[in-house]
Amino acid sequence: MTKDLFSQSARFAYVSKTLRRVFDLWNYSEIFLSTVESHDHSLRDGLKIVFDNQVYLVKPDITSQLLFNMKTSDKRRLFYISEVLRNSISGRWQAGVEFIGGDGIQTHVEVLSILLTVFDALGLDEVFVDIGSLRLWREAVKEIEEYSSVIFESLRRRNFGMIEELPIDHRKKEELWELFNFRGQTGPYKKLNQVVQALSDHRVFVDLGTVRFYPYYDDLVFEVYSPKLGRPIGGGGEYRVGPLQACGFALDLNALIQLVKPVFEDDRTELKGNPETLYKEARRLIMKGKGVKIDP
Amino acid sequence: MGIKGTRDDPRRLVVDVGEYVLLFSKPFDVPVYVEHGIDMGIAGSDVVEERSCDLFIPLELPFGKCRLSVITPKHHIVPIEAMEGYRVGTKYPTLAKKFFSSRGVNVEIIKLNGSVELAPKAGITDVLVDIVDTGRTLAANDLVEIEKITDVSALLLVNRIAQKVKFDRINEIIHRIKQVIEG
Repeated sequence: MTKDLFSQSARFAYVSKTLRRVFDLWNYSEIFLSTVESHDHSLRDGLKIVFDNQVYLVKPDITSQLLFNMKTSDKRRLFYISEVLRNSISGRWQAGVEFIGGDGIQTHVEVLSILLTVFDALGLDEVFVDIGSLRLWREAVKEIEEYSSVIFESLRRRNFGMIEELPIDHRKKEELWELFNFRGQTGPYKKLNQVVQALSDHRVFVDLGTVRFYPYYDDLVFEVYSPKLGRPIGGGGEYRVGPLQACGFALDLNALIQLVKPVFEDDRTELKGNPETLYKEARRLIMKGKGVKIDP
Repeated sequence: MGIKGTRDDPRRLVVDVGEYVLLFSKPFDVPVYVEHGIDMGIAGSDVVEERSCDLFIPLELPFGKCRLSVITPKHHIVPIEAMEGYRVGTKYPTLAKKFFSSRGVNVEIIKLNGSVELAPKAGITDVLVDIVDTGRTLAANDLVEIEKITDVSALLLVNRIAQKVKFDRINEIIHRIKQVIEG
């Protein structure tokens, strides 16, 4: 695979075009957010700059930026394709959706269904989704609140030894161990089971050890990955926008282009000849929605 | 654990041992290899924290124990709060910066790759942030440890995706390592 600017751009373009088509078919509207935002503690990632004695963030995390900019709590179906800077000058291209205002598990099932159609549209095999729950863990540590930070750190590291060393009841440790290692199609949390059942797809698993510690995530969280790639492809989760339930995901396009084998179809009409007639014909065809290829 | 890999040529970096493939990388690069797809690795907690890689750390190992500390020349011992504007030589720029920031002290970090004890003697730094074990190297270079930043030990690292797709195998290896540790 060549990695020069033009080859990479062709792959990005192929993936972006496919994603836009899928998101549009699901009736999601594209949102274009500012490159630069005034600094706020609710905004994640981005590159901090100072301009005219004011602090700004360049290309912050999209979900946090969306929440920052939403002045009213309206039902919305949105998607974006944008670069994000992770506290440095090196950016990653992301594509994502945000469904704001669904009811019950509808929000999660719809967003995860979009994710599955993305895999199919891109021709990706061996891509999976693991679903976990932050609320389940918060409930599990309620009686031992004073140890919650250690327990969440142990989850983040996947280090159960940290929990084993805590002075808590043996039965509680067993309960936490069961959650820590649970992986299957149905688990102890009804909401997750309902989502997995509604999706009915062999690529989706309940993995209660999957957690994503973004401050806006409320309950359900999920991670997207492939054994063909050593890093996660993306992830998402459930959050709230005022009184509304919301769910979204972000996919790393830099990761996706490593997995996708683009299929470049060329059904354009080839045009040659006199510029006076050639471009008139090109304009006519394009207005009819047909592609052209002009020989220089 | 019964996995023994030997290299007939020290320049050889990949060794097959039955179902395992052992890679010999520089210690500072182990977390990066694991983050990018190698199933498991062993590296010091100093390196893991400095690199801030996205990976799992299921086990602390009972070797490689030492500490990361602030070190000064023995003829110029000052408290941390008096180090405003100092040049700090270190292999750990991220950890050093974080430590001094937490104490409200602005310093200039000078990244070095090894033999950092030379830097104060050469006059290019005022103090150091480096690993201390017995303290013998410090004493041999007229340096003293002022304050411990953090304890260090070896850690077992696991790739996030390997944890999912090789769930049982990874857990089995972790269990076997634990059995060896517990004797």
